Amino acid sequence: MAVNMESSLGPLRLRHPIINASGTFDVLAADRVLAADLFADFPFAAYVPKTVTLKPREGNPPPRLYETAAGLLNSIGLANKGIDAFIADDLPRLGRLPVPLIASIAAEETDGYGRCAGMLDGHDEVAALELNVSCPNVELDGKALGCDPDLTARATAQARAATGKFLIVKLTPNVTDILALAHAAVEAGADCLSVINTVHGMVLDPWTLKPALGHVTGGLSGPAIKPVALRAVYLISRELDVPVIGMGGATSANDVLEFMAAGATAVAVGTASFRDPLLAAPLVQELGRQMELRGIASPEQLVGRSH
Amino acid sequence: METVPAQADLYQCSVVESRTVGAYHLIAFVAGEIAAVARPGQFVMIRQSGPALDPLLPRPMGIHDVEADLVKVLIEPVGKGTVVLTDARVGDRFSVLGPLGNGFDLSGEGPAVIVGGGVGVAPLALLAGTLAGRGRDIRCLLGFKTRVQAVAAGLFRDVDVDICTEDGTMGRKGVVSDLLAECLIGLGPAAAGVELFTCGPGAMMRAVVDAARECGADAQVSVATHMACGVGACQGCVVRVDGEYRCACNQGPVFRAGELEWR
Ligand SMILES: Cc1cc2nc3c(=O)[nH]c(=O)nc-3n(C[C@H](O)[C@H](O)[C@H](O)COP(=O)(O)OP(=O)(O)OC[C@H]3O[C@@H](n4cnc5c(N)ncnc54)[C@H](O)[C@@H]3O)c2cc1C
Ligand SMILES: Cc1cc2nc3c(=O)[nH]c(=O)nc-3n(C[C@H](O)[C@H](O)[C@H](O)COP(=O)(O)O)c2cc1C
Ligand code: FES
Repeated sequence: MAVNMESSLGPLRLRHPIINASGTFDVLAADRVLAADLFADFPFAAYVPKTVTLKPREGNPPPRLYETAAGLLNSIGLANKGIDAFIADDLPRLGRLPVPLIASIAAEETDGYGRCAGMLDGHDEVAALELNVSCPNVELDGKALGCDPDLTARATAQARAATGKFLIVKLTPNVTDILALAHAAVEAGADCLSVINTVHGMVLDPWTLKPALGHVTGGLSGPAIKPVALRAVYLISRELDVPVIGMGGATSANDVLEFMAAGATAVAVGTASFRDPLLAAPLVQELGRQMELRGIASPEQLVGRSH
Repeated sequence: METVPAQADLYQCSVVESRTVGAYHLIAFVAGEIAAVARPGQFVMIRQSGPALDPLLPRPMGIHDVEADLVKVLIEPVGKGTVVLTDARVGDRFSVLGPLGNGFDLSGEGPAVIVGGGVGVAPLALLAGTLAGRGRDIRCLLGFKTRVQAVAAGLFRDVDVDICTEDGTMGRKGVVSDLLAECLIGLGPAAAGVELFTCGPGAMMRAVVDAARECGADAQVSVATHMACGVGACQGCVVRVDGEYRCACNQGPVFRAGELEWR
């Protein structure tokens, strides 16, 4: 049986269902370091660069990383060069990638989502926008607006008004009711949901017994959070009618199968790229093999199998 | 620092030597592609091959030495990741990404003083060998807590080393910055023409940088930060350089002393 891996995510045509998670793969940096020609042979089916904000952000003080049991705690703090520099320096180069580009944007004020979306709307290189609503919000004393359904809806509506592009909202799991967030985003105009961002966490240095991260707390990613992510994907995709991009700990082909069976149309790989920056190619191959073993002929037949 | 061409790749490498060197552990693995191009001061990201999810990520290790198609690392077991690596046996396979980072800038021609502390001496062995091979006048000053660490000084082949330990169990008693101060005083006004290369604990490197500044010498510093990707993707490994955060993995790990800001 031949497995056809082609997938679609709304209007985006994907060679296969595996994309990268924002902030975990930088094609421009990797291209300067890795021997592989990433522009000729890009391993993911779409590219999501690191989130950019209206103004540059220098990020949190180091240490910004600490490995936990099968997980990674990070407090990068959305360090980025700002949307102006992203448009001027990065976009022309990213436009040369052979896959759709999904720009990730965030803002410290709710209004900023509309402004960022408007600034990217005229750029043909950008196929879709992903709103990262986990950015520290000034109106909420630094809490992420994504923790509040009303503010999430407001940010989404602002972006919706500013762009006709495929609009993805990336949900945070750090809430009591992630379904309420999903509903709020979709009612405000989201075409698709990314599920999930990192889970709030903390580690102490076992010797000093002080917080190990410069920012004290951080976001947990990697295999440790997979069950949390899988539940969110399952609940949301069963109840809402928009495609879901599943993420949170996906490392192996079986993880990808599970996310898709839980209801994800595409799966994003984040922390696993730190084990192997080029893992997508073997992962896609193995995914095809595992689908074949299970008699699943296409990603379409796989999505939502567990429902 | 020198910019290095895009040449890193991920290799599955067989371990051919794994032995204790005092408090540290020396591991040699077959990685001909890396050995062929590695420069002093570059590093690799390594983990045991396979699907195990804990430890999850590779660990950055300086390239300690290269010999034919072998790459050698010298590891101090300090936590989960390094303990698993030092347990490696001959025949085990490592997943190795490299070579990474910009190495030391070797373009200088004057006398060089290499100052290492603890496991920070690891990448300095390849540096010392390379500088000596180019006929450069070098001195190596290596400091350790105690004898069980100081035996690693024996890994510096074909170069003379001055050793000190904090408890006097091997070499001189004292800290390596004292050795450096003496060395610089002995040189008199010529000290300003010396180039310093250093890797080790933060406090030690700071003392080296201060000493360099006092006598007007240049210094190159190799920093160790927590890393996840090693290729500039995660923004996790930053140090403050010229008033902004820069990634140690792809803009370092070697920096000029004058541009580094210490916390
Ligand atoms: C470019 C570079 C080259 C390096 N070269 C060598 C080398 O040649 N030999 C060697 O033994 N080590 C080297 N290190 C340090 C080594 O990577 C860390 O000791 C290792 O990652 C710790 O992992 P762990 O899981 O054992 O420790 P963890 O359990 O993560 O931590 C144990 C302790 O080590 C500290 N620590 C964790 N990561 C680092 C780090 N990257 N640097 C300093 N302290 C850390 C933690 O704060 C904690 O106190 C290098 C680091 C870098 C960035
Ligand atoms: C180092 C790091 C940086 C991240 N940066 C961003 C970011 O800029 N924007 C964003 O939306 N998510 C960011 N994330 C979250 C990931 O995109 C992803 O949602 C999360 O890590 C879960 O997936 P994973 O377990 O596969 O990593 C980051 C995650 C990590 C580990
Ligand atoms: S280790 Fe990821 S950016 Fe340096």
